[in-house]
Amino acid sequence: MNVASIGMRNIWRNKTRTILTVLGGAVAVLAFVLLRTVIWAWNVGAEYAAKDRLGTRHKVSFILPMPKRYVETVRQVPGVTQATWANWFGAKDPRHPNEFFATLAVDPESFLQVYNEAKVSPADQERWMQDRKGAIVGDVLARKLGVKVGDKVTLQGTIYPGDWEFNVDGIYEATAKSIDRSQLFFHWAYLNETLPERRKDMVGWITSRVNNPEQSANVSAAIDKIFDEKDVQTTTMSEHAMNNSFMAMFSAILKALDIVSIIILLIMMLILGNTIAMGVRERTREYGVLRALGFSRGHVRSFVLGEALTVGILAGAVGLGLSYPIVQLGMGRWLEENMGAWFPYFRLNAGTAALAVGVSILLGAVSAIIPALQASKLSVVDALRRVG
Amino acid sequence: MIPVSYNVRNLTVRKTTSIAAGLGLALVVFIVAAVGMLNNGIKKALGKTSDPDIAIVLRKGSDVELSSSIEEPNVGLVMATPGVSRGEDGRPLGVGEVLVVVLLDKVGTDGFSNVQVRGVPDNVLAFRKDAKIIEGRAAKPGTDEVIIGKGIRGRFKGVELGQSFELRKNRSVNVVGVFEDGGTSYESEVWGDRNVVSSAFGREGLVSSVRVRLDSPSKFDAFKASIEGNRQLNLEAFKDSEYYEKQSNGLSIFITSLGTVIAFFFGVGAIIGAMITMLAAVSNRQREIGTLRALGFSKFSIVTSFLFESVLLALAGGILGALASLALSIVKISMLNFTAWSEIVIAFEPDAKSIGSALFVACVMGILGGLFPAIRAARMNPIQAMRA
Repeated sequence: MNVASIGMRNIWRNKTRTILTVLGGAVAVLAFVLLRTVIWAWNVGAEYAAKDRLGTRHKVSFILPMPKRYVETVRQVPGVTQATWANWFGAKDPRHPNEFFATLAVDPESFLQVYNEAKVSPADQERWMQDRKGAIVGDVLARKLGVKVGDKVTLQGTIYPGDWEFNVDGIYEATAKSIDRSQLFFHWAYLNETLPERRKDMVGWITSRVNNPEQSANVSAAIDKIFDEKDVQTTTMSEHAMNNSFMAMFSAILKALDIVSIIILLIMMLILGNTIAMGVRERTREYGVLRALGFSRGHVRSFVLGEALTVGILAGAVGLGLSYPIVQLGMGRWLEENMGAWFPYFRLNAGTAALAVGVSILLGAVSAIIPALQASKLSVVDALRRVG
Repeated sequence: MIPVSYNVRNLTVRKTTSIAAGLGLALVVFIVAAVGMLNNGIKKALGKTSDPDIAIVLRKGSDVELSSSIEEPNVGLVMATPGVSRGEDGRPLGVGEVLVVVLLDKVGTDGFSNVQVRGVPDNVLAFRKDAKIIEGRAAKPGTDEVIIGKGIRGRFKGVELGQSFELRKNRSVNVVGVFEDGGTSYESEVWGDRNVVSSAFGREGLVSSVRVRLDSPSKFDAFKASIEGNRQLNLEAFKDSEYYEKQSNGLSIFITSLGTVIAFFFGVGAIIGAMITMLAAVSNRQREIGTLRALGFSKFSIVTSFLFESVLLALAGGILGALASLALSIVKISMLNFTAWSEIVIAFEPDAKSIGSALFVACVMGILGGLFPAIRAARMNPIQAMRA
């Protein structure tokens, strides 16, 4: 029997306390894993953005449109293979007033070329192209609104006032996480013809595809340079960079979560350390006897350390075991379906899992430092004299 | 009844474990109080404090100022509606304003963010009673001078007293003053001349919203009826406070649910920590408990005594946590306002409710953590307990 295993046996001396400690530690590990997964998923959202797609918008403000002729100019820029445009059409479904979804006016043909990860069946696509008042809806949104192909939806415009009726011509699915599955797209031409003369032929933003993602920064700069001397200037960046800058606006929340995930580790350390210190105090006499029998100070230290490490590892394992089903099956699925725009991918990743286990081992060791030193420092006589 | 001083001394005699458990509880209370304070800050920033006699008029169907537009001749009609209060000069108390969003470079990082720019009429400082210039001076009407809220001061390039930034190319504005407005989201805005802002954005002859001060809050229903009764106007009226409350809901729900989940996990951890401490206290004091029982103290008074001790521990930790959370009131964080996609600066605002509820949580944790050990103590057989 080696020295560390004596330490391990000690944990069964007070079963209630050990179980409580492992449980407390496990809850802390679970919370840690959940928080880290939120932070990770938030950042990874940007990673899933298409790297070969650029967005061009009005330099001053996203609420200002650009002339539609800019699209042609963008298409001429070397490195750009295709470009499309869209207008944000704020709308809500009066039957589901609390369901927020994006409604965009797009040019169907070029849109499906630039966003080729949106998959529509050829029949649906054909129908949509022919139908001036037609729209395609993401599969997630279709489920939420309870619509299917052939239905009509009436939306209330928030920016373009009035009731707008669309025919649901198709449902799109996504072959990549870079497109939100709860959007509605309809013909830009249909919107444009209703507008008064001075607001006609203006587009909200231009999206282009480049042939070489490595060159996207250069192509962006080239686009902005062309428009720099025109009356409307632009800002162009890759979808990836755009998502990053969007996420950066939440940096305060992410920082808070970061701090909180460290605080939870402190709580775990307090629980662990408390338990170990209590055990050591109660067994002071035993350690005195062991020392009298010839065990060294180092031995006593390893007893305590072994005990703490075992509890730490157990807590880590139980916590990870609990978090797996919660993240993977419960929370993850819900977030991906309902907040897909924010968390396109919410899964337990190997890095987080490894970090959680590593941290619980480390915390076990750290929480044992003071009790272990105290136990080993005691002189044999003092320890034997101690009334526990 | 077992004297209170017995419990106090018990806690102080076992310093380390009391401190460890108390610190765990303090961290939970800290988090609960911080979430409460942040929520309070959001409510304050997004206008729960708006005067009850202010009404806001938007174009029908547009939920937010940003997507609303009202033709200027209609502004006069709104202000002439019965119920609108008049100033000493006989002019109606109301402002028609243009709200736009510009993209500005952040100071300190290479990112950028949206900032709200409000084009205001010359009587804006008279209309908003709480808005005061705290440095510099008011902007001269009809010029390119602007004043900035103290919340965004120095956070963006050029947004600082004496500096300038561009509304659009070759249309720069000069910052001549800094204003405060009681912690509301106005403090995260730039205020410039209405005509300058609307012409820079090509919105001549249009405003985003009209706010009026009514003779009394009770006049609102009649005001709303006469605004909405005129179909030609196509306008909608809301109480300003309700309009802002609706805007803050999303952010508030987000923070509350995140905070609740975190506080729940922290709470479970801290309850377990308290339980471990109290269990150890019970088993260490077996003899004392036996003696107390033999002296004639009832089981009930043993349970109350241990419960009391645990609540005392929790409250001590709780007060520590609450005090620490008060230090947060100097922290300000910037967050994305979901409805305008622009940044607002939010402070942690302490109030009795958030501190009180945090201390209440501490008591509940003390009771939950102490109940099981207390019952265990009470159920001891006095003879066996004394023999131990």
